[in-house]
Parts: sequence; structure tokens; C-alpha cells
Amino acid sequence: MGKIEVEICMGTTCFIMGGEGLQELASILQRKYPNKVDTKGIVCHGLCNTDCQYSKAPYVKVDGEVISEATIDKVLTVVNKKLGEEA
Amino acid sequence: MFIDINCTQEKKYNQNAFGDYFISKRRPGRLIAVLSDGLGSGIKANILSTMTATMLLRFIEAQRNIKAACETILNSLPVCQVRQISYSTFSALDCKDDGDVRIVEEGNPQFIWMKKNGEVIEPECKIINSKTFSNRHMKIYHIKLELGDRLIFCSDGVTQAGLGGNNLKLGLRRKGLIDVIKNKLKHQPDISSRELSKYIVEYAKYIDNKQAKDDISACVVHFAKLRKLCIFTGPPYHAEKDSEYAKIFDEFEGKKAICGGTTANLISRELNREIITESPFNTGKLPACSSMEGVNLITEGILTLSLAYEYLKDEESIDEINAATRLMNLLLDNDYILFMVGAQLNQAHYDPNLPIEIEIRKNVIKKMKKVLEEKYTKRVEIQYM
Repeated sequence: MGKIEVEICMGTTCFIMGGEGLQELASILQRKYPNKVDTKGIVCHGLCNTDCQYSKAPYVKVDGEVISEATIDKVLTVVNKKLGEEA
Repeated sequence: MFIDINCTQEKKYNQNAFGDYFISKRRPGRLIAVLSDGLGSGIKANILSTMTATMLLRFIEAQRNIKAACETILNSLPVCQVRQISYSTFSALDCKDDGDVRIVEEGNPQFIWMKKNGEVIEPECKIINSKTFSNRHMKIYHIKLELGDRLIFCSDGVTQAGLGGNNLKLGLRRKGLIDVIKNKLKHQPDISSRELSKYIVEYAKYIDNKQAKDDISACVVHFAKLRKLCIFTGPPYHAEKDSEYAKIFDEFEGKKAICGGTTANLISRELNREIITESPFNTGKLPACSSMEGVNLITEGILTLSLAYEYLKDEESIDEINAATRLMNLLLDNDYILFMVGAQLNQAHYDPNLPIEIEIRKNVIKKMKKVLEEKYTKRVEIQYM
């Protein structure tokens, strides 16, 4: 089973709309699911530019699935679900 | 060739103000600088040295003749009523781009002229006595620098560091300072003026039990090869210019930085190079940096640029290592800086729901240019696309 890939957008809009707090995800996911999740920052997903009228930053991708207005809880729910599916 | 100049200072341990003052100005084809040491320490010394250096710099700039400008100051500097000696000492420098340098010294320790291989040259000087004060005289030097040469100026806080201690009863002195610099250059022959001046001041402090017993200043002038840096920030206004933008980036000869996620993605796509983001842990108030083959630094855009500008403006030593300090160090370690500013606006930045005000990229870059030119004597160009 491959690792689940979590990509946190580190672009300006995402960072100030809550991305700063999402940096903690790396340590939370590592603690909760050791060796099952790979968390990394991405310079910019480019989603705020296409979606700007609705302001849904910050964005996180979990195995390519876009989570808008992402929070730690939202991301954990999606990761949980994916791990459950794969188990 | 380029004149890389930098001065590092430390105030006396029990004072709130610097007693030495350094000022420099780049004019077309020449660079003028003055280092002055005010009598005593603290506020009084600060006022004296600031006045002397500022006036002298203006005189040199206006008269185009360093000798006449310094003579005016030499003959008019007031005498301290208590100590019966002149208000302040100074070293003044007028350096042309072709290496023709005139130096005038009054009271400060004699400067050091060091070749690239560490050899020290002791040039001849002409002594001019003051017409109004019999105990005052100034030394005038006219020298020709070659590529790799360095000039080191300092206040007596450096040469007298360690004075009366167990190891250096007479202090570091000029000879000791030469050995310290030679040793450093042996390990780091290409060290920037900023790093070398910082090293000298730290060393002087260190031998005095890490406490500055006097105001300490070290100014280093390096006649070096021009160090170039380009900073690409923002995507071009017209998307069809993307490939041209990336080509300019790729072909630039010098160090390279990208400030902005969209810009990094654009360059990555056009040049087919992967972006590797550093660990997002513990990056402080700014997003993490990234790396790419052939690029020295990749940071987030406007937040990092704005903070780097604040750091440059305030000129305080910052202990924290984050994207903005890394960007600031890169800027300060280069002499020519090209800002390539993509004019496309990121609509998302104008969303009124954003919790903080975001500066317009063009404005931040303009302010950065001003501070880099005026405060750090850098050569800065901005191009828009």
C-alpha cells in the first residue's frame, strides 16, 4: 500500500487564510499515522486564482482530492476515510 | 568590477547609542564613504561623529575634491573644553570605479590595504597640518586598487580591543588585526565585505570577554568582480510571454531567486525542472522555502518580500532564520540586483475577506530598490513584463 500524499498549499492567499496553522498537519499526521502519510508543502496549487470569487482558500490536496477552506479536522477526516477505504 | 563596501558597528557595552558613525554614498562612477569616531561614547559621541561624517560626506560630494573638503573640517572641528582635543576623528574615502582611490585620515587607526594573496601594502602619504590647530594633521593617500584588493578601516575600538587583558596587554593593535584578517581570508578568500566586517567586530568583542569596551566599527571595501542577483516575482501580464520570461531567467548569469508560488510553478513548467519544498515545520510566520536546480532560493511572494523590506529598512540584526532573512542575506551579498516583476495581478489578493492588507507587489519592489540603493549602496534595476 502506497503512502497517502497530503499537499498543503504555501501560496500567499492560502497561507494567510489559515495555511499557517496547517503546517502543524505534518507533525500531527506523522504522530497519528506513522509511515502511512507523506505531508509536504507546495509552492502554490494555483486554485485561488481560478476560484477567487468564492475565496475558498486555504487549499489542501489529499491524494489529488482538493479540500477547500481546509482545516486540520477537515484534512484528518479525509485522510481517515482514505485509510479506512484502503484498509 | 565593483566596489563592495560594508560597515559593521557595535556600541560600547553600557551605552544606548553608537559613538561611531559610518555613511556612504554611491554616485555615478564613484563611491564616497566616511567613518567618524566621536569623542567619548554614548549620545555625545553619537552627535559628534554623525555631524562630522554627514558634513564631510556632503563636502566631498559637492567639492569633488576630498583634500579640500577634509581640510575644511580639519580646520573647523571644535575642541572639547574638558579634554582639549578635537571633537571627533575621521577616515574619508573617495573611490572611483576604475580603482583610483583617495583616502584622508585624521586620528583614526591607519587603514589596511590588503591584496588578494594577503600581502599588505603600506602606501606613502602626504601630511597636511591644520592652519588653525597646531596639534592637528591629516594624512592623504592616493592609491590604485586592483581586482581583489581590500581596504579595511576601523575605529580604535578594534585596534585597542583586549587592551590590558592577560593575552594582549597592548590590545589587538593594527598588526594583530592584519593577522586576524589574513587568517580569515586564507579560509574564505571570497568573503563579502559584509561578512568580513562582521567577523572583525565579533572578533574584537570576543577578545574583550564578549563585551565591547569601546564603540567598535569595521568598514571593509572590496574591489571585486560584480556579484549579480536576479529576483523573479509575479507572472507576466500576458501569458504568451511566459516562455520568454523563463528564458530570461534561465540565461541570467549570476545568482537567482524566485519570490512567489505562481512564478515558481511557471518557471518549473517552462524549464521542466522540479520544485522541492523544504519541510513545512517550524518556518515561523512565513511559508517554507523551496528549491529547484539552478535556483538559489524560492520563497512565497508578497509576505516574504514585505518582511524582507522591513528587515532591510530597520537594519537590526535578526537571529531568526526564515524565508525573509534568507532573502535579505542573498540581497546583501550581491552588488547588482535585477528585479523582474511580472505585472499580472493575483485577483485572490484583492479579496476583502483576506484578514490582512496585502501590499501591491510593484510598490514593495520600488521601496526595496530605494532602501537597497540608499542604505546599502547596491545597484538595482527593475524590469516589468
